[in-house]
Amino acid sequence: MALTETRPETDPEVDAPAAVPAAPTVDSVLGTGDHKTIGRLWIGGGLLFLVAGLVFDLLANAEIADLSGFAIADSQGQLTQFWSLGRDLLLFGGLIPVLIGIGTYVVPLQVGSSSIAFPRGAAAALWIWGIATIILVLAYIMNGGPGGGRVDYVVLWTLALGVMILALLWAMVCIATTVLGARATGMSLEMVPVTSWGFLVFATGSVLALPVLLGELVLAYIDVKFGFLATNESREGLVSIMNSVNLAPALYFIAVPVLAMTVDIIGVHTGRPARFHRSILAIIGLFGFLAYGADMLSFAWRGRPLALDNGLLVIATVACALPILLTLALAGESMAKGKAKINTPLAAALLSGVMLLAGAVTAILGTVDPIVSFIEDIFDTSINFSFDIAGTSFHWGVRAFVVGAVALGIISGVHHWGHKIWGRSLDDRLGFLAVLATLGGTVAWGASSVVAGFLDQPGLPVSDPAGDSTVEIVNLVSAAGAGLVAAGMGLLLLNVLGVVAGRVGSAAEPWTGATLEWATASPPIPENFSPAPVVSSSTPLIDMTLEASADANNDEVAS
Amino acid sequence: MIGTGFASAAAMMLIGGLIGIYLSTRASVIAAGDVWLPSGVTIPLTQPNMMAITMVFSVFIMIWAISSLGRGDRAMAYVALGLVLLMGFAVIAQTGYLLTIMELELASDVRAPLIYAVIGTHLAILGAAMVFVAVMTLRALGGEYSKKDREGVYSAALFWYVTVFLYMVVWFAIYITK
Repeated sequence: MALTETRPETDPEVDAPAAVPAAPTVDSVLGTGDHKTIGRLWIGGGLLFLVAGLVFDLLANAEIADLSGFAIADSQGQLTQFWSLGRDLLLFGGLIPVLIGIGTYVVPLQVGSSSIAFPRGAAAALWIWGIATIILVLAYIMNGGPGGGRVDYVVLWTLALGVMILALLWAMVCIATTVLGARATGMSLEMVPVTSWGFLVFATGSVLALPVLLGELVLAYIDVKFGFLATNESREGLVSIMNSVNLAPALYFIAVPVLAMTVDIIGVHTGRPARFHRSILAIIGLFGFLAYGADMLSFAWRGRPLALDNGLLVIATVACALPILLTLALAGESMAKGKAKINTPLAAALLSGVMLLAGAVTAILGTVDPIVSFIEDIFDTSINFSFDIAGTSFHWGVRAFVVGAVALGIISGVHHWGHKIWGRSLDDRLGFLAVLATLGGTVAWGASSVVAGFLDQPGLPVSDPAGDSTVEIVNLVSAAGAGLVAAGMGLLLLNVLGVVAGRVGSAAEPWTGATLEWATASPPIPENFSPAPVVSSSTPLIDMTLEASADANNDEVAS
Repeated sequence: MIGTGFASAAAMMLIGGLIGIYLSTRASVIAAGDVWLPSGVTIPLTQPNMMAITMVFSVFIMIWAISSLGRGDRAMAYVALGLVLLMGFAVIAQTGYLLTIMELELASDVRAPLIYAVIGTHLAILGAAMVFVAVMTLRALGGEYSKKDREGVYSAALFWYVTVFLYMVVWFAIYITK
């Protein structure tokens, strides 16, 4: 059995790459170590579970659109299950896997590597994640999950979620190691393209933050297995385990690669790459640092509700808006001075940044109460002003903005690199529809949840007959918003399926950029580059163009 | 090495998070005037100290293994790597014995899950480190590494050192602090 990652020596004539790649077979897909195939599978699987997660969010919100009783779920426990399944699938089954898919495909190309680091490890991570996600869904179906009635399946839920997180971490390590250890000759870390840098920051932060969540799942497993949480009500407390990664400012960590992609995508579609490359890398790094710092500060284990009761956490919440503003400002400069061609990737990238900023600014409202308390303590006075939104759906409204921003970022990224990934560009009209649906849904979902928070709607959906009709209307808008975002991602999935089937899109190269992935074929040859590239700046294709022009001029002069 | 660095960081954060919850919960219980360890439960010092000495000694054995490979002395390298694995087995066996004599029933008290979670998670990390060392030993036996290329063994050594460091943290937080 071969234990090494290196290929054995073979006859070079036999080993010559085929001119046309053979159609994939089942065993070639299952046994592949090719990052391009693995990336496509992450994107496809992630989009599927993302839509499913959004549908469950829609069902949970629709249930509380009528607070007088249960129309969709049978009981409060089942309502909690819908909501929790939607939350788990959205983050670990949908958003993060699709981002990993984009990273697994694009990052090795951007840094000029022939493959992703630990290719078989990357493949193993994909399949383990897929199986664990299916087991997670089955655990919920069998009345597992937080608040579930069957102890064995609650245990299965903790195990499945833990294995999903491990698999995602493993995939992220492969991406980060590629950026750090497999760059093209001449590419220093400060020349790394912004998207790859964003994935490096995302992966590094996740490797540091998500194991802490794993530790909490280990405790939950032991508590449930050995009877410390004997009743359904006591097990409902397990819901709070996932709060720390689902609520801002910690949730911004999934927006780190999206913010980075936004810079690259706007640069390509305006024909003007963003200036101050090193500063942008620093801004993305700062955003990641603040998001992960917030995650560590807000680690809300069971029994300790999430609250902005820590001064550093308040500062992190406010400060997170700054890198987003700076990135949008640089993008704005590209828009103003470049020649913007409005298409799906550009529109989605811009709107993604705007939604992220909207979420960050809204999150700042949540810091008003702790700041007022702080001032009252310092000056020994009473201000008598409070939003009183702690523990309400206000924070889930901020989450909706961030989720919507990441969804728009995913639409942007998949459209931008779609031709590189599948050899055909995605349909722009379907793309615009997806952008409109996702944008509208994000605004409706986010704004209504924020308003519901001010009306004392609890964060965990509760069907409460004492609730008033205003809250019901707001919840209905929230449900419609979640549904629109689900529709938007569904349209993206349809677009992707259409491209895979060759029914939509075009085979013509739609655009090109300044980074190395645009120097390859679409899709790239098996070893990505031949010969391996040598770079000397962060815009190698511009350098190649200038060199080619200089050579042509020299030839002209010589002749 | 880079991948191993990330894995080591993840392992440190995992144990760090659990230790954080453990110490915080312990502080709350003591602040409320209660005693942390359930009555009838004792944590002897002999076994944890022996494990600490064994783990520290294994660090020197691992350094010996890398140094032997660097000098081209493959036989000594195999012996050293085998000794590291043996020490790992010894720590696992000793931990099992310690849990037996502690008489801390898992289902008896809410404090027990925390203690078992921390110890059990470290054992799992130790097991992963042993698998890593075993795989690198097999690769070395197959002729993979040489004087000039020892990266695989370096990676296994790095993860082993982190595992030893984490044991020292667990040793102090649980066995010494009690």
